[in-house]
Order: sequence, then C-alpha cells, then structure tokens
Amino acid sequence: MIGSRSGKWLFPIVCVALANGFSGPAPAQTVRARTSPARTSPAESVASVQHGVQLVETGRCKEALPLLERGLPLVTEKTLRYQAEIAIVRCAMALDQEQTAADTLFLLERESPGNPEALYVETHLFSEMGMRAAQELQAKAPGSYQARRLQAEGLESQGKNDEAAAIYREILKENPKIPGIHYRLGQIDLALAGDSGTMDAAKQEFEEEVAVDPTNASAEFILGELARRKGDWDEAIRHFSRAAELDAGFSEAYLALGMSLTASGKYAAAKPPLEHYVKLEPDDPAGHYQLALAYSHTGDQAGAQREMALQAQAAARNKSTDTTQGHAVQQ
Amino acid sequence: MSRTMSRYPGFLSRRQFLGAATASAIGLGSSRFAQALASSAQPYFEAIAAERSGIAWSHTAGLSPQMYLPETVGAGCAFLDYDNDGWMDIYLVNSGPCDFYQPAVPLRNALYRNNRDGTFTDVTAKAGVPGNAYGMGVAVADYDRDGLPDLFVSQYPNSILYHNNGDGTFTDVTAKAGVGAPGWGTSAVWFDYDNDGLLDLFVCRFADFDKEKNVWCGGHGPGERYYCKPNVYQPMPSWLFHNKGNGTFTDVSRESGIAASLAKAWGVVAADLNNDGWMDLFVGSDTAPNPLFINQGKGRFVDNGLLAGVAYNPFGVARSGMGVDAADYDEDGWIDLFVANVDHEMYSLYHNNHNGGFDDVSLRTPIANITRLMSGWGLKFFDYNNDGDLDLVIANGHPDLEIQAHHPELRYLQPMLLFAQNQGKWTDVSAQAGPAFAQPIAGRGLALGDFDNDGAVDVLVSTNNGAPLLLKNRAAHENHWLGLRLVGAKSNIDAIGAKVTWQSGDLTRHRSKVGGGSYLSSHDPRMVLGLGPRKQIDWVEVEWPQPGGGKERFTGLPVDRYITLIEGSPGWK
Repeated sequence: MIGSRSGKWLFPIVCVALANGFSGPAPAQTVRARTSPARTSPAESVASVQHGVQLVETGRCKEALPLLERGLPLVTEKTLRYQAEIAIVRCAMALDQEQTAADTLFLLERESPGNPEALYVETHLFSEMGMRAAQELQAKAPGSYQARRLQAEGLESQGKNDEAAAIYREILKENPKIPGIHYRLGQIDLALAGDSGTMDAAKQEFEEEVAVDPTNASAEFILGELARRKGDWDEAIRHFSRAAELDAGFSEAYLALGMSLTASGKYAAAKPPLEHYVKLEPDDPAGHYQLALAYSHTGDQAGAQREMALQAQAAARNKSTDTTQGHAVQQ
Repeated sequence: MSRTMSRYPGFLSRRQFLGAATASAIGLGSSRFAQALASSAQPYFEAIAAERSGIAWSHTAGLSPQMYLPETVGAGCAFLDYDNDGWMDIYLVNSGPCDFYQPAVPLRNALYRNNRDGTFTDVTAKAGVPGNAYGMGVAVADYDRDGLPDLFVSQYPNSILYHNNGDGTFTDVTAKAGVGAPGWGTSAVWFDYDNDGLLDLFVCRFADFDKEKNVWCGGHGPGERYYCKPNVYQPMPSWLFHNKGNGTFTDVSRESGIAASLAKAWGVVAADLNNDGWMDLFVGSDTAPNPLFINQGKGRFVDNGLLAGVAYNPFGVARSGMGVDAADYDEDGWIDLFVANVDHEMYSLYHNNHNGGFDDVSLRTPIANITRLMSGWGLKFFDYNNDGDLDLVIANGHPDLEIQAHHPELRYLQPMLLFAQNQGKWTDVSAQAGPAFAQPIAGRGLALGDFDNDGAVDVLVSTNNGAPLLLKNRAAHENHWLGLRLVGAKSNIDAIGAKVTWQSGDLTRHRSKVGGGSYLSSHDPRMVLGLGPRKQIDWVEVEWPQPGGGKERFTGLPVDRYITLIEGSPGWK
C-alpha cells in the first residue's frame, strides 16, 4: 500500500537514504505509544483490535486506526500485537499520521526484532517519509542548495554521475564553502576513475573538502588511502592520524595508520594505534597481524606470537581471503 | 566496519578501495598492440613460430565438464642441456592419464634437442621421458654429480625422476630413488639444504585432491559451473627429500620441519635469504599463508613467513600465491622476493629489510596497479637487456576459463608483462617488448634460457591447453656480457647458492644463483652478467656455496661469450 502512489520516487530516495546512512529517529527504547491506556477490559481490547485488523484488510483505515490504537496497549498475545502494529503503521501512513506510524514502527522493531515483514514495512515507511520530505523541500525551497544537492544525490544513486557533478559544481559556484560537496565530487571522481583512471582529480576534491571542512574525517581517511596506495607513507600517516584525531571511534583510521607506520618501518609508533584498533575490532585478523609485526620488530616476541594466534583465530572465523572477486565467489 | 560505513556517507571501505583499480590490466593487451605497431623500434622479444623452431608440440589440458582443478593450472617447461653440447634444449610437460582423466589419444611430454641453428628436433621417444601421469612441472639438476642434468617431473598422482644416462636416453629411477611424492606435486626445486655438496629435492604439494574429492563450484544450470577457487580444498605439507649420495633419497619432510606447515603450494624458490650460508625456501601458496622456510642448519627449517611479513597481505589474510622468485634486485646485498597472486590481490614485491622481515613495496612501483586485475604464474627476475640491472618478466592468465562470464572486468587470457628496473625504480616496458607481450594467453610456466647462445636471455612460456611460446630476446644486442657456467667441486655441482660479483669499469654488480623460481619450470643453469656498453670485464668473484664456501676471483676474462668456472680450478675454460 505504502509507496504505491510514489513509485517513481521510491527507489531513488531509498538509495539516497541508504547511501547517506539514514538511520531514522530515536531508538526504539525511547518510543511509547501516543495514545493513553484504554478504559476497557483486556477482552474488549482484544476484540477491538481483531476488528480493527479486519477493517484494515478491507481498506477501512479511518475506522480501524482508533480501534487499533486504543486496544493495542492491553493486548498481550504476541501474534495479534504484531498484526495490529503492522496494521497501525500502514494505516497511519495512508492517513498522513507519520508520527504514529514511526512510533509504532519502533515498537514493532523492539517487539519483533529482525522480522522480515517489519523490516520491509520499515523500509517503505522511511522511503515514503523521505519522499514526502523531498517533495516538501522541492516545493518550499526549490532553489536552495539543499534541494539541488538532494537532486544530485538522487542522480548519483542512478549512476548519472555527470549530471550530478554538474549540479554539485553549480552549488559550489554560488557558495564554495558548503561542506560535503567537494566530498561528493571526489566520490564521483573515484567512481569515474574506476579501474583505469587516475585518482588525481578525486584527490584534489578531497583536499578541497578538507580545506572547507577540516573536521571531515572521512575525507582525511580517503586522502590517506590514496597516499598509501602510492606508497607515500609520510602523507598517508599524516592523513590517517588526522582522521583518527577527528573521530576516536573511526576504527579503520587506526588500522590504516598502524599499517602505514609498519610499512614505513616505524614499528614502535605503530603499536598504539594498532593496540587501539584490536580493542575496537577484535574479530578483524588485520589488526592482530599488523600488531604482531610491530611487536616482532620491536623485540616483543611473546606479544607477536600472541597476536599471531589471535590473527589465526580471527582468520579462521572469517574464512575468507582478500579476493572479493578473484576466481569468482564460491557457493 | 558497518558502523564506520554508516557514520561516513559514501565512505569506501578498505576492500572497496582495494577493488578500485588505478590501472587497466584488461585494456593493456590491445593498447600494447597499437603501441607495438606504431613503434619503429625493434621489439625486445620476437616470438619464434613453430614452423621456424620445429616445436610443434602442444599442451592438452583435458578440460572436462567436471572441472577438475589440475586441468586449468598446468603445465611447466624447462631449458636444459641434456646432451651437454653447450646448447639449451627444451622440455615441455603435458597432461596424462590419472583417476580423473583418460586421454582419448596418448599424450606425452616433449624433449626437443637444440639443432644449434634456431630449430629443435623432438627426441622424446629416444630419450624416454614422456611422463606417465597428469604432468605438472619439471626441475632439472645433476643430483648424482655425474655431469649430466637429470629431470624431476612433478605429476598428479605420482612424480617421476628421470636419470640422464649420458647417451641421449634417460631411465625412470623414481622407485629406487624414493621420490615418487604421492599426491599432487607442482613446482619442485633442487638445492643443497644441508650443505653436504649434494642436491636435495623440495617438491611443492598442492591441496588434498583426487577425483572423489573434486568439488562442484558455481550453479547447476548450463554454464554456471566454474573452476573452484582453491579455498574449498584442504592444504597439505610439501615434501623434502634428502639426497643420500647413492642414488637414493630419504623423505625428511617431517623431521626437517617442512611438513609442519600446511600450504597449497604452487611455486618455490631456494635462496639464502638471511646471508647465513644456508639455503632457505620461499613458497607461493594459494588461499593459505605463504611459507618462508628459514634454514636453521642441522637439517631443520622454521616457517617464519608470518613474522617476516610474506605470508599474508597487509590485512592478515592469505592471498593466492602462485609463481615466485628471489633476487637482490636493488643490489643491497640481501635477496628480495616476488610472488604473483590472482586478480584483485596484486602481485607482491617483497623487499628484504635485512632483519628477517620483508616489506611489500609493490605499491611504490607500477607493479601493484598493473597487476590488480591479473593472475600471475611463471615469472623470473633477469637482466633482459644486459645493462647489469635485474628486470622482471611475468606470464599471466586467469585460472578460470569462464571468469569473464562471472566477472566482466576480468579475462581468462591475459598478456605477459615485462618490467625494467634501474636503481630500484621499476618501469612497465611491456609495450616495447613486442607483439608477443600484447597477445593474451593462458600463461603458466616460464623458463629462462639463452637458446641461441648470443648472450641475450630468451624466454620460454608454456600455456594451458595450447602451444608454448618461444621468445627470442633482441633487446640485449647493443650491450656486452659474459656468460658463466659454474661447476661446483666441493659444493653442489650446479653451484646453486653461489654468489657472483663482477666489476666492469664503473659498474659493480652481484648476483646469486638461486634454485628454481617461476612456476612449474626450470631454467638455463648458466648466468649471464650484463656489462652495458662496457667492452671488458675487470674481474669476476665467485663465492661458492657451502661446503666449499671459498671465494675465488677470476681476471683476464673475455666478454660476449660463455665460459666455465670450476670451483678450486684457476683460470677459465
């Protein structure tokens, strides 16, 4: 039901939402039903909710929604609660009651974690909400850079990189200091470079992004990675250090920093970031392997052996090689 | 990782980054063709057609719908002078009968005698070296010190040792020698691990495999099956055979420590990596850590691959190690390593740190990016233009015939690569190497040898299910050279492990004679010392391997010809 009237918008918005790490409102634990407990007996509530679910099945949302909202708090039977919650979400969206839909969805997520239907409905809900917000943005501020940026991101998600880049550049022409735009252009340059192109254009965009937004840890990381790939360890170390400084939870920055330090023979300096990384990501063999190298080269053979054992355990758990595509994927 | 991904919109994970190539390997072939055609300069290498060379033999893989893995990985080739006439002959390995394959027509390996005029004659029948199972590779050495090169042919499910009788024939002495190596033998190398002056034998073993253990990979619809990536098979220990000096060998795999490391071993090279006078081993292993067997003396090896930094990629994950080689390319006195991997893994150039560790420096060279979408097998460091600097040649080809259907960015057939090196700086010169280096092939084995004795080292490449390529070197003719045949007296007769230093005016270079290297293949045992434009050589110093171990300096040497230096004998022949 949801999204059926917005088919042409749905997928771009979904893609953009996903690409931007759209994570939705507050966590489920903080959500509570908006309606007050009903002054009815549990038996009456069950009957009311069952009736509401039936009404929804016949498309009578206006009648069903009050019954469902009133009855749900006193329903304890799991299956019926699940059916009621799904029905509330669908009807609330159909009736433009987005807050009700979102609150109930988080309740559903908490009570039925990992349920495919719930996740499916959730996807549609946020797609729909995204679509509506996008329409509103377009209607109320069509010339704003935010509206144009959203349009460009939609084009990017459809693979129309050239068109997207043109819009990004227009935005920058008007206001060169807007954060995030050079970053998007850098990402497009990376995509365009693909398997055969130079990364110089991308590098320039990420450098400009850092100039505009010195707190962009992701841009710093990518600059570090570009340097690492060239074996320019000093530059890689500088960027990875900065990325780690900007965000202490950015685990890959610590690994990349440690790797660059070991690769440049600075084993002692590599130990702190790698020790931090293995605490953040104990299941990644990479950290243990690099830390073992650092320990080994600084005379701590016991530490090296310990990390090697952890590396072997982690690698066995992962059961993978770095060949994500090589030889084709096994079934 | 997922948390990081969500925190940073559009952030590329490290593996995505690794997958985002910066150079095109696939387009390389066609662009090289254009460059080769446009160039008026003579290409560095010229492919000698079968009609000219007389090498009409072709490899038959026995490709089957069951897609048994051995079908796609063979086979090897060798340059050897089996009749001691001073001219390199050629040996080529073929498939053969085994539990998963019964050839419709008999298949055989091939021995081609060098006619000394650029042509070869097939003498396999007379020599009696046809192989008798599913052939993989070949390793040549004079294991019994009778002055004649012998042939070890690795096969599935049993290997063969052919003893050279000195009359143009060989005898299968496998049973007597005790080197049958039951299992899937791949590359092999002769080297003297215990410094007793006798050449011992290391044989790579690939995974635990037989017909019943064949795994179905891919879908069950038409065209959906493909050759398995080896991670579906279990690793196995390789073999080390100790030469007892009486024509027999003892399997010392277990007591030497070799068997303690399980691998899926494709390639091997023997070299003294820590300059302690004992030969070590580096093994290319597929989806399992690359072993680096450091010789402890007293017959013991310790696999130090992990801490040396050569076992895994920087992320602590095993790559698909295949062909390997070892050489001190940067002239710092310490031998470096190379291993080819499969697509999306890049090949690794491991620089020796002088402290037991190695750094993969390929990212600082064009090698990493150019090989990002390639899969490498036979390879060898050598000085293709005799300027005194070591260069590198690599034969490539994806192991899965259907790879392009699954991954459009990849190709089954891939061109060869030639990298020139100068003072540690590497340059891709494949486009100048000629049409042979633009031609996509299913490259597998690769052997070096100067088949026309002009001092320009030529290249022999075996292809899977195809004819071999004989590439005549035309790049070295403007430079001078000296060819050495080293003969050990106290030390092993093939002088494997010898270190040679030479001085020619302002040029000082040194080179170690490593054992094996490449993939399933064996090389011209002679060394060619490049002099560049210098017209004379001041001296050559040979440090013989143990147990000889002496240093001898030779002066008054000629140039632009081959000579023989015998341990303990003054002068040259």
